[in-house]
Amino acid sequence: MTKAKFLTATALTLGLLGSLPAQAQEKTDFKLAWSIYVGWMPWGYLDESGIMDKWAEKYGITVDIVQINDYVESINQYTAGAFDGVSATNMDTLSIPAGSGVDTTALIVGDYSNGNDAVIAKGDMTLADLAGTKVNLVELSVSHYLLARALDSAGLAERDLDGVVNTSDADMIAAYSTEDVKTVVTWNPLVSEITASNPDAKVLFDSSKIPGEILDLMVVNTETLEANPDFGKAVVGAWYEVMGLMAAGDEAVLTAMAEASGTDLDGYQAQLAATEMFYDPAEAVAQASSSALPETMIEIAEFLFDKGILGEGAPSADFVGIEYPDGTITGSDANVMFRFDASYMQMAADGAL
Amino acid sequence: MSFIQVRDVWQAYGGRSIIERVTLDVSEGEFVSIVGASGCGKSTFLRLLLADERPVRGTITVDGGDVAVEPGRERGVVFQRYSVFPHLTVRENIVAAEGFNTASGWLFGAAKRTSRERADAILARIGLNHVAEQYPASLSGGMQQRLAIGQALTAKPRVLLLDEPFGALDPGTRVQMHDFLTELRAETKMTVFMVSHDLEEAFKLGDRVLVFDKPRWDPQDPGLYGATITYEFDARDGGMPYQHILDRYPSLKPQAEPAPERLLEPA
Amino acid sequence: MRLINLSPSRPLAVFLAAVPFVAVLIAYAAGSEIRLAANPADKLLPALSTIQETAVRLFTEGDRRSGEILLWKDTWASLSRLLGGVAISASLSLVIGMVVGLLPMFRSLLSGFVAVLSMVPPLALLPILFIVFGLGETSKVVLIVIGITPFMTRDLAQRVLDIPHEQLVKAQTLGASSWVIAARVALPQVLPRLIANVRLTLGSAWLFLIAAEAVAAEVGLGYRIFLVRRYLAMDVILTYVIWITLLAFVLDWLLKQLSRKAFPWMEAGL
Repeated sequence: MTKAKFLTATALTLGLLGSLPAQAQEKTDFKLAWSIYVGWMPWGYLDESGIMDKWAEKYGITVDIVQINDYVESINQYTAGAFDGVSATNMDTLSIPAGSGVDTTALIVGDYSNGNDAVIAKGDMTLADLAGTKVNLVELSVSHYLLARALDSAGLAERDLDGVVNTSDADMIAAYSTEDVKTVVTWNPLVSEITASNPDAKVLFDSSKIPGEILDLMVVNTETLEANPDFGKAVVGAWYEVMGLMAAGDEAVLTAMAEASGTDLDGYQAQLAATEMFYDPAEAVAQASSSALPETMIEIAEFLFDKGILGEGAPSADFVGIEYPDGTITGSDANVMFRFDASYMQMAADGAL
Repeated sequence: MSFIQVRDVWQAYGGRSIIERVTLDVSEGEFVSIVGASGCGKSTFLRLLLADERPVRGTITVDGGDVAVEPGRERGVVFQRYSVFPHLTVRENIVAAEGFNTASGWLFGAAKRTSRERADAILARIGLNHVAEQYPASLSGGMQQRLAIGQALTAKPRVLLLDEPFGALDPGTRVQMHDFLTELRAETKMTVFMVSHDLEEAFKLGDRVLVFDKPRWDPQDPGLYGATITYEFDARDGGMPYQHILDRYPSLKPQAEPAPERLLEPA
Repeated sequence: MRLINLSPSRPLAVFLAAVPFVAVLIAYAAGSEIRLAANPADKLLPALSTIQETAVRLFTEGDRRSGEILLWKDTWASLSRLLGGVAISASLSLVIGMVVGLLPMFRSLLSGFVAVLSMVPPLALLPILFIVFGLGETSKVVLIVIGITPFMTRDLAQRVLDIPHEQLVKAQTLGASSWVIAARVALPQVLPRLIANVRLTLGSAWLFLIAAEAVAAEVGLGYRIFLVRRYLAMDVILTYVIWITLLAFVLDWLLKQLSRKAFPWMEAGL
């Protein structure tokens, strides 16, 4: 018995190991995790409608799509190896799996937030008025990044605030209705909920001011994808079939997604309006290949490094390397852990799947 | 008027009669033993004397006073168990008999000092001065009951009520306790009621022995009728009152002899 | 010999006590080594040496921006919330428990209410707590208080009821008023139970504290754990978990010592 086998046996016996990191080998069964968010609702529909199964069958594999209630937990589970892919933003992909040394590829660029994330204040305020006040948000999340960008646009920085208060998204609406909360940063459907039920709520800044910076992705394990290109083809093929249905305004499809996200068709369409969905794979390829993307990622990396999120071992914001579709790399080329790969989306655009 | 008057007392719990038609007169300084079968209401009668319970009918008065509605310093008690406070030392248990009667529950300064001195004197009298700093749980059963009696007497009650006080003790200790109680009684001339299930003890210690039993019995409904005093014995002089029969009834004496100088009034 | 009569010798007992701890450590080290062999940057099960380095850093080095040592700040914030909440709960439950246990009028008024209240899941009421008490320190302390007071109150009321009736009668025959009975008979006898209750409920109190800190906070042990979870810094989380366990253990030990020192009569009969 080798040492590794002995160790595995010991750890398994005590039930401590959980799932091992995904192994780079050919396999036929894959698992994707997703969580509820306007741009990711198609994943639920893919699963329910059987469209995913149809495409998986075409390539002789199975793809299990699992909904996880807690977004961060879904990414942590992916990072720990329990899933082959997960729905995540570009920022969280960089900070959690890539920062943890799990080489991750953005297989699909689904959309960017175009108003879905917002800085909301009570009453007549401006961004400049935030100086010296407290802001409630989910710390270290996309909201935090949005706040940094918002303050930046007003010539302020986070140190000019009286601090940020980490507030769970589940309790954000209740938090907003308390006296001592003046400003929150959050995302949809909470943004529309707060602005609809509080007439004095004023959106000071939203993600439409920073288009293309907050990307909603489907990221997968790079080694798994390299060893199993059919996995990538099946997932991308299924995704764009649903995108076609959505682009055509198929009400049955949209209603199913609306109900799954706890709203009605109108509510869901309002959220979609604040989301720049890439229904056409060619648009997604263009976004992934955009010359603005490296700049955005550098900015995000600097934000994460400034907050200490890249880990204490990270000597600089360049610690994690990011590769783009044209082969250019930002950050360290010795430690490339996050790759934007447009080739599968290109196949969809070319009708080659 | 007698010292303790019990007039037509009835007690019932939820329709079940416990005791009925109890009427009794007791003189000051008498020792009354109460015996009877289990569940015959003798402990209930003691609680009524204690004013821990109020009778459904009838009255109990001490020295012509008002009918008591709750226990008080007039009537001291010693139970079979739980009569002393486990969280107080032996000396503190005695001091409590004075301290509990204040507004705050505590004695301070000179009052505390003199109370402790009195407590030590009492402990010396009841033979517990060597364990004054200990907690009751570390004492033997007999020592705990000595402490309980000492504590009750420190409060100087008009009547002392004993509810099977020696029931949990071994026979040897019990005999010692009888002597102890007899001595104390000789010193204090206290009026005492004692519930006991031990007839020998009842006759040995008591001046009078009351027997509680049910005179009426309904086999269909045993709870219909309560118990009452069915017999009463004169237990003085070892339960042999005829030894003094001539003292009480001088007319029975031979005519030749002169009448005795001292006459004892019957109780 | 029957198994129930088979007792370990002193050295064997020490060894047996150590077995579960060592087993967990070995299993952890093994799991960690396997994951790190597959991915040297894995954060889920950091090596024991990494945890140790992280612990040293957290305990001694200041934050990059503020220079403050965050762990001590978090500890101070959490402990003051925890102890504040527990102290308020203990006082409330003592007063209400004594009143309910001693006074039949209040027993009729409150015992049903307290019994129902102790069944309410407090975490579900969080949004209401926030709106009533704000997002600051008050709501965190109130959550602990609401979480543990009803249970403690019920238990203490029952303890007062368990005091033998004979003792209450005896105190009355010594002239004690209701107040004196409460202060000198009931109180000293339920205080040890109060400490036992605090020891029992400290676990729930931690749970409520960490839940409250996860919802809205700027500082605190629970806050830090939920924050760094966002980038899977298990080395930090594990250090905090070990630290919280240690704090809880020390608190429990201190209360046990206090109980022993303060209530010598409890052990007199043993």
